[in-house]
Amino acid sequence: MRTFSVTKSIIQFVLFLFALAILIPLLNILAMSLSDPARVNEMSGLDVLPKGFSFINFEIIFSNPLIIKSLLNSLFITITGTLLNLFLTALTAYVLARTEFVGKKLVLFVLIGIMVFEPSMITEYLLMKDLGLLNSYASVILYKAINVYYLFILMRFFQEIPDSVLEAARIDGAGHFRIFTRIVLPLSKPALATLALFYGVYHWNEYFRATIYITDPNKWPLQVVLRQFVVSQDNKTMLQGIEGMTPELLASLDFGSLQSATIVVAVIPMLLLYPLILKYFTKGTMDGGEKE
Amino acid sequence: MKTLKRMRKDLILYVMLVPGFIYFTIFHIIPIVNMKLAFQDYKIIGENTWVGMKHFNTLFSSPAFQDVLLNTIIISSMKIIFIFPIPILLSLLINELRFGPYRKFIQSVSYLPHFLSWVVIAGIWITLLNPADGAINVIRNFFNLPSLDFMTSKEHIRWVLVFSEMWRSAGWDTILYIAAILKISPALYEAAKMDGASTFQQMRYITLPAMMSTVITVFILNLGFFMNAGFDQVFNLMNDSVLSVIDILDTYVYRIGLMNGQYAYATAASLFKGVIGLILILGTHFISKKITGKGVW
Repeated sequence: MRTFSVTKSIIQFVLFLFALAILIPLLNILAMSLSDPARVNEMSGLDVLPKGFSFINFEIIFSNPLIIKSLLNSLFITITGTLLNLFLTALTAYVLARTEFVGKKLVLFVLIGIMVFEPSMITEYLLMKDLGLLNSYASVILYKAINVYYLFILMRFFQEIPDSVLEAARIDGAGHFRIFTRIVLPLSKPALATLALFYGVYHWNEYFRATIYITDPNKWPLQVVLRQFVVSQDNKTMLQGIEGMTPELLASLDFGSLQSATIVVAVIPMLLLYPLILKYFTKGTMDGGEKE
Repeated sequence: MKTLKRMRKDLILYVMLVPGFIYFTIFHIIPIVNMKLAFQDYKIIGENTWVGMKHFNTLFSSPAFQDVLLNTIIISSMKIIFIFPIPILLSLLINELRFGPYRKFIQSVSYLPHFLSWVVIAGIWITLLNPADGAINVIRNFFNLPSLDFMTSKEHIRWVLVFSEMWRSAGWDTILYIAAILKISPALYEAAKMDGASTFQQMRYITLPAMMSTVITVFILNLGFFMNAGFDQVFNLMNDSVLSVIDILDTYVYRIGLMNGQYAYATAASLFKGVIGLILILGTHFISKKITGKGVW
């Protein structure tokens, strides 16, 4: 038996407004990117449906070599970065999780120190300069190869693998490296997948280090191009890339809708992964909260 | 001797630790040690010379630095006061929804902005606050209020920081609270209903007290990160007309250091921030351990 409750209805309505406050700005950007550029100026910020319909903005974007290049750069940085993150984090977590060795306490102490004290962006920059890594992909990939917080999460996960499993392997004569690659890694697939998402989202969204470390526009990731074009309103960056455009394409330029389309392109990979993210992140975070 | 023997036996473990060790040494420990630059003058060629507290003295007597410090404190305080209660309220409301598609929809939507970069969010908010046809001004006009150019208004820009941060994180921050609420025994609610408690009374007398320890932990942790007023956010939302009211310590270090090349002086500013931050984090860690049994790590 369910009775009508005024309080419940008000709550449902308030939460509906909250969801609208998040969705309307997002849908508005999507609608602007899909509209006919000639009609975009008829639209207001509350419109969530495109006026007219056209893929022209995306055609312009995907005929822009700068954007294609930066998209590929972002993919490269995200994929190699995440693989390196996973390998190094897992390797280090294995040693710190399972075994007692001389100096372990000191290592953990230093790691906590690293977690709570951030270096200055100035000394980080000077380091990159001294290492000769400025203007290379390596500068953005390497500087956060292991996140200490994620390292601790993975450590805790490894500690939950039953000792008996590892003991059996040890009796069969397997060494640490073999146990790590053949037993621990395969058993930790869910944890590794979660971390891959964490690290992947991080790499995809990173722009600041790329902004200061990478000066060659050909090596910029997508977020940096997006920042130039959308936040700094630097249309030149955008126009540089579209020299080879046909007159029809040029005629249909509208910077507002082009900016929206660039935002959409930067968000799409995130949205494709979103179901996975919901499954892993939120569950993981909930479990984390319940643990203590 | 015994120790050496054990270390020899564990040799493979140390080998496995080498890549991580090299990484942390190069990319974390060296930049931290190099913050000694704060007590030196930077030389492009040759050894840096020690100058003691010179940069700190300039720093503390500089009106620009005092403004930046004040901005950091104001913005951080505004964020804690106005953003902190929202996820608590939201999770109380979400908890009243039955487990079903509607609840799932609200939660999925509310987490979404957390995964967007600040560049993307800045792009979205600049559109949203557009004086001509941005959603907020369309709504204002509907109520016969004049359009405002929020992004260039010194009066409003800090509120833009507060609300955009709220937009991004309020939903995500409900996760821990909802986890705490889910642990409450359903028997308590049954009993309350028997006694004729209204939905509101159940929230007030059962749910809220049960999530209090989580609330305190989150609040204390927030205090620990007080000096981080939101670099990514300010960096993307700032422009010349509002710089003076939203320039925070991190953006100041970026500007005077990386833009103007005053490396040593900027390092002094970040060392100051780092030390205050460290004191706050360690302080809150111990307070948190005492009060709730949970620390920062």
